[in-house]
Amino acid sequence: MRILVIEDDAATADYIAKGLGEEGHVVDLARTGRDGLFLALNEPFDVIVTDRMLPGPDGIAILRAIRASGIATPVLVLTALGEVDRRVEGLEAGADDYLAKPFAFAELRARLRALARRPAVAADSTELTVGDLRMDLLRRSVARAGRAVELLPTEFRLLEYMMRHPGQVLTRTMLLEKVWDFSFDPTTNVIDVHVSRLRRKLEAGGEAPMIRTVRGAGYILAPPE
Amino acid sequence: MRWLRSFAPRVALLMGAVVLVASVLGAGWGWLRAQDALRRQLDLVLAADAEGLLRDYETYGLRGLAEAAAVYARRQGPLRVLLLGPDGRPIAGHLPGAPARLRGFVTLEGEGERQRLLGAILPDGTNLLVGTDLEPVDRAAAALAWTPPVAAALAAALALVLGFLVARRLEARLAGIRGAAQAVMAGDLTRRLPEGGAGDEFDRLAGTVNAMLARIEALVAELRQVTDDIAHDLRSPLSRLRQRLEAALFAPREAAADAATLEAAIAELDETLNTFAALLRIARAEAGTGREAFAPVDLSALVREVCEIYAGVAEEAGRVLDPRIAPGQKVAGSATLLRQALANLLDNALNHGEGRITVTLEAGPVLGVTDEGPGIPEAERNKVLRRFYRLDRSRNTPGTGLGLALVSAIARLHGGGIRLQAAGRGTRVIVDFRPGAMAAVSRPRPAGAAGTTGE
Repeated sequence: MRILVIEDDAATADYIAKGLGEEGHVVDLARTGRDGLFLALNEPFDVIVTDRMLPGPDGIAILRAIRASGIATPVLVLTALGEVDRRVEGLEAGADDYLAKPFAFAELRARLRALARRPAVAADSTELTVGDLRMDLLRRSVARAGRAVELLPTEFRLLEYMMRHPGQVLTRTMLLEKVWDFSFDPTTNVIDVHVSRLRRKLEAGGEAPMIRTVRGAGYILAPPE
Repeated sequence: MRWLRSFAPRVALLMGAVVLVASVLGAGWGWLRAQDALRRQLDLVLAADAEGLLRDYETYGLRGLAEAAAVYARRQGPLRVLLLGPDGRPIAGHLPGAPARLRGFVTLEGEGERQRLLGAILPDGTNLLVGTDLEPVDRAAAALAWTPPVAAALAAALALVLGFLVARRLEARLAGIRGAAQAVMAGDLTRRLPEGGAGDEFDRLAGTVNAMLARIEALVAELRQVTDDIAHDLRSPLSRLRQRLEAALFAPREAAADAATLEAAIAELDETLNTFAALLRIARAEAGTGREAFAPVDLSALVREVCEIYAGVAEEAGRVLDPRIAPGQKVAGSATLLRQALANLLDNALNHGEGRITVTLEAGPVLGVTDEGPGIPEAERNKVLRRFYRLDRSRNTPGTGLGLALVSAIARLHGGGIRLQAAGRGTRVIVDFRPGAMAAVSRPRPAGAAGTTGE
C-alpha cells in the first residue's frame, strides 16, 4: 500500500513510517499541514494518516480540503490523549477513523488494513457470507452450514462487523468503538466475554473454529482452514 | 511636593480653598450691604430732622425756624443745622464748610472730617441745611470690615482639618484593603479584607470581595489536593516500572525473559496512560468542554443497550443484571459520555459488588445502579467520589480509582448530580439528571434518612 503520513512530531512520524515500512508499505512523510495537503491533492494514496494538531492547516482543515476536491481516499486522524469528544468533529469532517495517541502499533496496523480493504462487501448487500457462515441482514438471522444460530442483538452486531471485515485483525478497541460506540476501555472484559459466547454458539454443532485470537492484538474471523 | 500625591492632604487643601473663597465672597458682600444700610439709616435720620424743622417753619414762620436752628447750635449734638438767607448770609445755626443753595443729599469731605448734608430751599428763598458727622458710621464700617477675612479664615481652617480627618479615615480603610490584597497576591489565600462592621458601602464591598476570596481559596485547595493525588498515584506505577526495567537491565540478556519484561512494562505504561486519559476526561467534563455539542439523547434506549452488552458479562461472572427502564426518557447531552458513565457504574458493580445488579431508569430522568453487597461504609460514601480514592478492600481489584469521579463529573456536566445510598447490604448509586439535583446532593442529608444506613 502507498500511505501518506502527515505528522509534525518527528519521533511519532519516524515510529509510524518505520513500522509501516517494515510491513512492506510505501510511506510518504509530510511534516507540515501544507506539505501534507499538497501531497494528498496531487498523489494517489491508498490511505492517509494525519495528526489533528499540525502547523499550517490542521488535520481537520486538510480533511475538509481533500473531501471538497472529491478525493475519497480513507483518512485516519490521530489525536491527543483524552480528546474523545473531538472524535465526532473529525468524523463529521469526513474522517474514516480516529485514533488517540499514544497507540500500540498493532492498533494502527489493524485500523489501516480495515480502512484500505473497506469495500469488501457492497454497502447495499442484504447477505454476508464467510465460509459456511451466512448472515441475512433483512431477517436478522444467522446460519452456520445450514444450522440456524440464535444470537442476541449485541452478538448479532458484533458478528456483523466481523463478517464485514473477514480475515482482518480486529482489536478490542476497534470492536468497542465500531460495534457499541464505547470510546473507552471498560475494566471488565466485555469484548472477550461476547467473543467467547459468540464462538460457543458458532461451534455448537461441532463445527471448526472460525474466530481466532491474535495474542496482544485482537480477533480474526476467517473460514476454518 | 510628594505629600500632595496623597489623598488626605489633597482633599483637605481643596476643601479649605473652596470654603475660603466662598466665605470671602459671602462675608464681603455682607459687609458692603451693611455699610450701605448704615448710610441709608443716616439719611433717614437727616430727612426726619429736616421734616421737623420744616414743620416748625410752617407753624412759627422764619423766626421759629431760626430759633430752632439756634437751639441745635447751642446743644452741640451730633446734628447740625444752618439757615442761610436768600442772599446767602447765615441767619442762624452753625455748619462749617457748607455750600450755598444746596438741594438734596451730599457728602462733604472737609479737613479731617466727613459730613453728610441735606439741603432744602424754602418758598421765601431761605436755604435750610441739616448735617451730621460721618465718623461714627465710618468707624462702624471699619469695625465690620474685619468680619469677612476672619470668618473666611476660621471656616477654611475648619474645612482643612475636617477634610484631612475624613480623608485620613478613608485612606486608612483603603490601606487595609490594599494590604490584604497584597498579602493575597503574595500567596496568603487565607487573608481577608478588614470589615468595619458599620455595614456601609465599604463593608459591603469588603464582604463581596471576601466571599470571592473564600471561593478562590476553596478552589485552589481542591486543585492542590487533585495535583497531590495525581502525583502520588502516578509515581507508584512509574517507580515500579523503573525498578522492573532496571532489574532486567542488570540481569543477563536472554531473549525470552527480555520480551516478557518489555511486554509487562508496556502493559504497566498502558495502565498509566489509561489513568491519564481518565483524568483528562474528568478535567474536560469539569471544565464544561463538549457542552456545545450536546444533542438530545434517548436515555432509555442507551441504558437498555448498555445493559444488553453487560448482561452477558454479568452472566459469565455468575451474577444477574436486572434492567427496569422507564421508556421515553430523554436528556440533552453526549451519548458517548453517558454510555461511559453507565459502563463505569456497571464495571464497579461487577468488580466491587456482589449479587444481583439492578439498573433503574425512572422519570426525571433518574438513573440508579444497585448491587447487593458488601456496601460502602457511610463515612466513605462521599470520599469514593474523589479522584483515586479506593476502599481498602478494593486495592487489588482492577481500575484506576477514577470511575466514580468521572461519573460525577459527567453527571455535573449534564446539569445533574450523583449520590450514594445504602440499599440493604449493598450500595445504590444514583445519577440524577433533574435540574437542580446537584444542589440537592450537596445539602446535608435530613436526619430521618440516616436510618437507611447499612444492615
